[in-house]
Amino acid sequence: MHKYYFFFQRFLKTIFYSESRFTASMHVEALQVLLQGLCGGRQEKLKIHEICLKSGTNLGVEASEVHLLCSLSQTDPVWTVRHVGGPMRGAGAEQLPAHVRSVLESSISSNALRFFYALGYKMDYELVRIGYVFQFQRVVPITVTATMLCKVPKLHAIDEAIPVTPGIQLVELTAPASTENYSEAVGAISSFAEHLAPLIHLSKPGVPTGVVPTASTAAASLVSRGAMKVS
Amino acid sequence: MPVKWLCYWQPSGGTTVSSQVLVDLIKSIESMNGVRSGRWQVTASQHRPIRRDQAVQVECARELLGVAFSEAPNKYYFVLRPDHMVVEADSTIQSIMENLQVYRNHLTVVFEYQLGDFHVKAGRAVIAHSENLRGIVLEVEYLPVSSLGKTHQLMQEFVDIWQEVAAQSMTGRIVHLEPNFGDYSLSDQYSWQHTALQYISLMVHFLSQRTN
Repeated sequence: MHKYYFFFQRFLKTIFYSESRFTASMHVEALQVLLQGLCGGRQEKLKIHEICLKSGTNLGVEASEVHLLCSLSQTDPVWTVRHVGGPMRGAGAEQLPAHVRSVLESSISSNALRFFYALGYKMDYELVRIGYVFQFQRVVPITVTATMLCKVPKLHAIDEAIPVTPGIQLVELTAPASTENYSEAVGAISSFAEHLAPLIHLSKPGVPTGVVPTASTAAASLVSRGAMKVS
Repeated sequence: MPVKWLCYWQPSGGTTVSSQVLVDLIKSIESMNGVRSGRWQVTASQHRPIRRDQAVQVECARELLGVAFSEAPNKYYFVLRPDHMVVEADSTIQSIMENLQVYRNHLTVVFEYQLGDFHVKAGRAVIAHSENLRGIVLEVEYLPVSSLGKTHQLMQEFVDIWQEVAAQSMTGRIVHLEPNFGDYSLSDQYSWQHTALQYISLMVHFLSQRTN
């Protein structure tokens, strides 16, 4: 089954509010508290080594790209291969508040990188995403991730990864949908995004949003409440 | 996972394989064991790379082999022989490969089993969408033990007995095709990856035989 993922993206700027007495990581922590409250605390750490591969010269009907994801948050690494299609286009797509893209994923054995090299793919870039992920069920399964993107200083040196934009995290909301139910998924993800409105504005990738004026106050309030155990 | 031996029927010199051979082999199975009928299918494919510009070479594997088992419908396996690699993935990998459009399906061989009890299957290998019979295939499975080393002698004895039974009415012999699992970094513990490699090796063997 083809899955369509709705991408809402927003860079959570934490260093903007330097005049506040709170630390730079305050807003990230606040988002965590907010999300824990919404989902009942089912949070998981995320550490993913992502390798983007591009097809070699002259290979294939047209140039193609595929991503290998190695999840490092469990005891044994778990490999996945992902292919993302282009965003849905046309007047209908413009009206939607989110990007709709076809995403295909498969788990794959740990020799995946050697396999794709043998098929003629070459590494374009690699990065490490570190952060956390929350899963919600609101009509459709919704995944919220807040991650720091880290660049890898030399080939596969993931333990030496350094943040590309220190203090700034990428927040993404995604939900799977089929061709039959994607308007349901759009509705679910839009209304879920409203829960996060006190802290961040979420929008389609490429559409700039400002920083929420009330974010600093909201963050402070969330963090002080979060200090009490959320059950 | 139970150890499987994959064998094929080698007709004696001058004769070719035919569907009658399968009928006779099934009779020989029936004379040895209780019978329970069932259907299984194994689909093995050979893919070739797609070059946008035919005049220009591409640095890539010249042949990508894949196999799917009706007994394991959520999985798909690839074998790259020069690189000694067996890759295991979900069946969605086939859709991913179709979207990438880098390799094209060149040929498919279907192994169709008509009969089996819990130890043995017998069937045919045919080129997909044609009546082109390429071989008679036999699969022997030994359930209690997963170690290749520990089961080798037992499996050989079973095949020898079956050979004797079959020889009473047929000429030809049962040949066990055993790839070098160690070369592909596969261990003594039997798995679907071992099965994938056996089927791919058998497909390559059948395709290399000249037909009438």
